[in-house]
Amino acid sequence: MSNTHSEASPDIMMIKPNQLLSIFGLCAITLFTSCSKQESPTASAPDPEVSTPETAAPAPSPPPPPTPAPTGKPLTVGYSDWPGWVAWEIGIKKGWFAEEGVNVQFEWMDYVASMEAYGAGKLDAVSMTNGDALVTGATAKPSVCILINDFSNGNDMVIGKSGIDSVKDLKGKKVALEEGFVPHLLVLKALEDNGMSDTDITIVNTPTNDTPQVLKSDEISAICAWQPSSGAALKQVPGSKPIYTSKDIPGLIYDCLFVTEYSLKYRRDDWVKVVKVWYRIVDYIKDEDNTDDILSILSARVNVKPDEYEPFLNGTYILSLEEALIAWRNAPGLKSVYGSSEISDAFNVKFEVYKEPVDYTAYFDRTLTKDVAKAMK
Amino acid sequence: MTCSFLLPLALWCLIAYLPVWKSEIRISLSSDANNSDFPTVYVPGDHMEEARFDAFRAAVRQDNTDPQAAETAAAGRRANKRILRGITPLALAENWITPEQEKDYAALYTVWQRIALGELSGGLSQENLGIVSENWADMSAVSPSYNSRNFPSEPLLKLIPEGKSEVKRPLFLPAPHEIIARASEDFRGQSELGDLNVWGRYLVSIRTIAGGFLLVCLVGVPIALLCGTFSFFSRLIEPFVDFFRYMPAPAFGTLLIALFGIYDAPKLALVFLGTLPQLILMVANTTRMLDTSLLDAAQTLGANRKQLVTRVVIPGILPNLHNDIRILLGWAWTWLIIAELLGVKAGLTEIIDTQGRRFHFDHVYPIILLIGLTGFLTDQFLAWFRGVIFPYTEQGISASARSAARVLSKVSPLRLKRALRAKPVTVAT
Repeated sequence: MSNTHSEASPDIMMIKPNQLLSIFGLCAITLFTSCSKQESPTASAPDPEVSTPETAAPAPSPPPPPTPAPTGKPLTVGYSDWPGWVAWEIGIKKGWFAEEGVNVQFEWMDYVASMEAYGAGKLDAVSMTNGDALVTGATAKPSVCILINDFSNGNDMVIGKSGIDSVKDLKGKKVALEEGFVPHLLVLKALEDNGMSDTDITIVNTPTNDTPQVLKSDEISAICAWQPSSGAALKQVPGSKPIYTSKDIPGLIYDCLFVTEYSLKYRRDDWVKVVKVWYRIVDYIKDEDNTDDILSILSARVNVKPDEYEPFLNGTYILSLEEALIAWRNAPGLKSVYGSSEISDAFNVKFEVYKEPVDYTAYFDRTLTKDVAKAMK
Repeated sequence: MTCSFLLPLALWCLIAYLPVWKSEIRISLSSDANNSDFPTVYVPGDHMEEARFDAFRAAVRQDNTDPQAAETAAAGRRANKRILRGITPLALAENWITPEQEKDYAALYTVWQRIALGELSGGLSQENLGIVSENWADMSAVSPSYNSRNFPSEPLLKLIPEGKSEVKRPLFLPAPHEIIARASEDFRGQSELGDLNVWGRYLVSIRTIAGGFLLVCLVGVPIALLCGTFSFFSRLIEPFVDFFRYMPAPAFGTLLIALFGIYDAPKLALVFLGTLPQLILMVANTTRMLDTSLLDAAQTLGANRKQLVTRVVIPGILPNLHNDIRILLGWAWTWLIIAELLGVKAGLTEIIDTQGRRFHFDHVYPIILLIGLTGFLTDQFLAWFRGVIFPYTEQGISASARSAARVLSKVSPLRLKRALRAKPVTVAT
């Protein structure tokens, strides 16, 4: 009896754990080897396949001069679906950052998620509006604007359902928007322009990307969102229309690239190169023969069709270098990014997004743009 | 088992194909209406109610009678190029151009010319044929062949939208045949939305789940064994775990980003965090259910504590542990979507989230089905595999598992080792 026991028990009890262990071990090895390769869906790797379509004029791209290999850790930049920032995609897809000799990794994220990741210290830079940079700075982490991409010229919209024909019709209604961020600012401004106050509406806090779905619900009378979400909402809810847009108040919303103070201090030369690439992108956009090429690049990033994307180009006024230098002047009023931020700051304090006014001038560094302008002359 | 799948499928077919859905116009040829009732761009493939479609056409006709000049010559040229390009879907459908020529304005220019000269016909209404002729007269007066800078900037006439009436199911209820069509396009990387890279993303998702789950097993199972074997550890650890498991794991999302960054790590961490408490409690319980007479017998035979754990407890609970792991793996899958939304969106979630937002549910469902199928097949495999590695347990074991077990036992490393060890013994006798 004891003999059979000692024979049988190891057979049953010991072989199996061994087998299991070896199976688990194998799994572990394959897993960790595959995990070590970091996936980078939006890697800034140059894509030689992307080129101007045949119909466009011969692309003015001389053979790239030998450039120094990008050194150092890649700069990480969070960017999201605002058309002015999607434009970075042109530089990414065409490999212009590598040509300029700067190692940048662009991370495609939701807007608020990108600001959270920046606030958590996981990004060197993030694309934000000037108003939201103040909010992020006051609540999470300050930043410095080194580049003005554009000002919103209609792509930010307050959209009313059928029956809501003006901002005044919103009285007593529910409006879905992302509280504390740029849509909130736009709605408050719309109310102010129409002699109303924030107590006239009920705000339903909704992520901007979800606003199209939310507008379909019977409870909600209006939303505030930017393209491409606003376009999706207009299409999904027949009869809905923009009742107030950023075109009614151009300059309220500047869209910029904000960098950490640390990164700006130690990697300033690299950031100047990033600014340089941006103005190469701007030049490319401003050439009408490239329109179809940029539409196919930009629309693919946000999953809409090129024809649908085309109106976004007008709703986002991309500033040329000369126009940007004007916006960089420290002056009151919406023609200046400083003046615009002063207004945002006052709004944020008034509506208790944060308590104390911030020193918004510390959020801007125009010297990088000026350096690029000098170098281009 | 087949029935339990056929039933929902039949229900889906029934709802989707019942003639209760209204028909709507599917736009095949579109234009931009300069009208506040149509504030967005409609493209071929979009749907519109019939009355609204009529209003849309009327709005475009109105634009043609009262054309508005563009602000700059460049903007005027661009607007006209959009009109020129409007013919593309028709030209593609009629094989007047090849898919490679889709963005080739020169080819489209020729198409307009040939329609105007009557060489091509079909697919266009009389009204639009007239518009083509009038526009061609303007275009050819400026340049007989396409030239991007030598192109009329005065507004051309817009083509009047055309479309066909078809059954329009609600967006969230695509019919089975539509799902199959989308799935086969998407999975082959030939989606109308461009290459969605389904399989690449699928691998990423599986890596997230497998990584998180392996991690949680490596950490959780030893803790659970301790808890299940020694009441000291049970009292020390389990009350807190019981408390912790009621805190929703996604609540730690931002914290995980702050700790682990925005790439794979926070996603693994969420799967880990979401599964760990369940694993500890479940496996500890399984351990406690081990037949105490086994422990008594071992102790009678003089086993010490270490031997009790390694020779009795662990081997004894393995079959039930396998069961727990199966259930917990399913549990881990439930965290996938939330995990992949942390930081940089990754894996299949990127498709589900982005396409869902654009109301492309016909592209979302195949992905969800893919996840379900993966989980189901894994589970079925693990159930079968139980028969292979634990052939001595009494639960229903399939014949294939039994034969696999036999093969496995022949090649098992321990048996080989024993065979080798046995050799000198034979020599000695």
